Amino acid sequence: MPGKIRYNRGNGHDKRDGVSLEEIVMNNIYLPYLTTIEDIYEEAPDVRTFRLVFKDQNVRDSFAFKAGQFGLYSAFGAGESTFCIASSPTRKGYIQCTFRKGGRVTSALSDLGIGDTMGFRGPYGNWFPIDEWKGKNIVFIAGGIGLPPVRSVIWNCIDRRKDFGDITIVYGAKSVADLVYKNELAEWGKMSDVKLVQAVDPGGETPDWKGKVGFVPTVLEQAAPSPNNAVAVTCGPPIMIKFVLQALNKLGFSDEQVYTTLENKMKCGVGKCGRCNVGDVYICKEGPVYTAAAVKKMYNDF
Amino acid sequence: MANKFLKKETIGKLIDALTSEGSIFVAPKMDARQVVYAPVSRMEEIVFDYIVPRNPFKEFLFPQTEPIAVFTIAKEAVDMKGVEVNAKETVIFGSRPCDAASVASLRSVFNWDLKDEFYNRREDKAVVMSVACTKADDACFCTTVNLAPDSPAGSDILLKETESGDYVVEVITDKGKKFAERFGNIFEDVSAKKAKPAADVKRIKGIDEKKIKEWLKDTKNYENPLWAELSRKCIGCGACTFACPTCHCFDIVDEGSAFEGERIKNWDACQFEFFTLHTSGHNPRDTQYKRWRNRFMCKFNFYPNKFKSYGCVGCGRCIRVCPVRLDITEVMATISVME
Repeated sequence: MPGKIRYNRGNGHDKRDGVSLEEIVMNNIYLPYLTTIEDIYEEAPDVRTFRLVFKDQNVRDSFAFKAGQFGLYSAFGAGESTFCIASSPTRKGYIQCTFRKGGRVTSALSDLGIGDTMGFRGPYGNWFPIDEWKGKNIVFIAGGIGLPPVRSVIWNCIDRRKDFGDITIVYGAKSVADLVYKNELAEWGKMSDVKLVQAVDPGGETPDWKGKVGFVPTVLEQAAPSPNNAVAVTCGPPIMIKFVLQALNKLGFSDEQVYTTLENKMKCGVGKCGRCNVGDVYICKEGPVYTAAAVKKMYNDF
Repeated sequence: MANKFLKKETIGKLIDALTSEGSIFVAPKMDARQVVYAPVSRMEEIVFDYIVPRNPFKEFLFPQTEPIAVFTIAKEAVDMKGVEVNAKETVIFGSRPCDAASVASLRSVFNWDLKDEFYNRREDKAVVMSVACTKADDACFCTTVNLAPDSPAGSDILLKETESGDYVVEVITDKGKKFAERFGNIFEDVSAKKAKPAADVKRIKGIDEKKIKEWLKDTKNYENPLWAELSRKCIGCGACTFACPTCHCFDIVDEGSAFEGERIKNWDACQFEFFTLHTSGHNPRDTQYKRWRNRFMCKFNFYPNKFKSYGCVGCGRCIRVCPVRLDITEVMATISVME
């Protein structure tokens, strides 16, 4: 904003202990940072990725997040929508989000073009404990539009390739057209130190489809990654996650080895509006990243 | 702290003194043939004979609708600016002790980790002057949740009526002390006045909050068919949530034209189907009993365990306003005897 900075924006974590309320301007935890859409990628029918840069140079320089964290994205006039940050924290200077056009806000976001302004609040929530995974083999399992949060971790691990053992990616979508990040899938497929297994649901294949045909849990069982010294990261539709967890159990993975991210509807993102809770667990504050063991302890409120 | 004394006839002076300074004086008054907490400007507007006002006074700390930011959309300049809250001092006279106890609950939600200054600035400027209950109705159940008709929790000043209609004044908090000192000409130093006995609100037999909490803690009981049975008649109108002093859920929406508008925080209710509906069509709480179960859990599990505060203060409003007579105490009683 021109002139003086009057409002604290974005993540609401500004330190202001010992200052009385009268002396300072209000710390508005709901006020987003302003961002410019720098690039737009068409991923699949109605699915887009935005590359966003913060308008404020100070924010651009200081903004940091970890893989798995999320934010609230504003289309001014339509409202806010919650998605993960789909880019990797190792890629600095911008963030990306990937979303499917569906409701009021995502439709309004879809109407925006390169150079347009939108809002971002965050980063919020916890993250995947990647540093604890050093030396381990990592298996990524994603379905459809569940790839974006996993993609942040995938690039994070690939950018720190030496820290990890084998990297396996199992990804499937309804049809070939519905696969997101097609260019990156091609890139991962070419990497000699990444094992990529792609699949589409039966009936979703095209004549020249070279990947598997089948549902993700089945394809995962066939790929049969070893549970030894491994962690698994999964995200997708609730029904897919349910069967992926069963498949991983069959393969010998314990619930402590499996991580997922629970993406519920949110409005505030900071533990106040009351809708993202799964029983007594507030996804926005205590999640969204959990081990399968933690998920099994929750109230059945999915 | 020595008790003080407030003569009923001087309340008008207190209102004048406060409103002339720009403060808001909220008290029980008649509106559409109901007693409600509302701002008053004259003592004659105040209703002194009431049990519990129709609305909780949370709307003066957490307005039903409140702009949090303004946006402008122009070709070369899209911007959003925060809205500053300049809360006015708000005296809530005639609050009931149950409602006063709910303030700590709201405070805990709006302050865990990130602090909501829209709430805090208002609460900082609010003075809660409760009047202990000398009457109760069949819906009142404060004693069942371990509060009382004369409980001081959450009040800055607690007033107890005398036979003459005046008040014995108990100063509870520092804020209350400063307030009583500021109006030293109104709060008299008279001792040895006798207040009327508090209302006799009987504990509801068979309700054991400890047992309820234990039963709720077991995640297996979340699947018990009892939930669907107990809440079958709920029509999901959400009236209980709006009338509840501790319900705090809200929505954030943008309203305005194509060029400018406001981002607004509105009360919302966990009883509504859209509340948790994902864009994909998936809804974690897709049937009414799941939404009702969530509200009950919020009162007797989330609030006490997570926020260490009262989820239910026993005001009885949800029972009074429910169009299908779903009585939360019946559910409490049923769960109390579950194995």
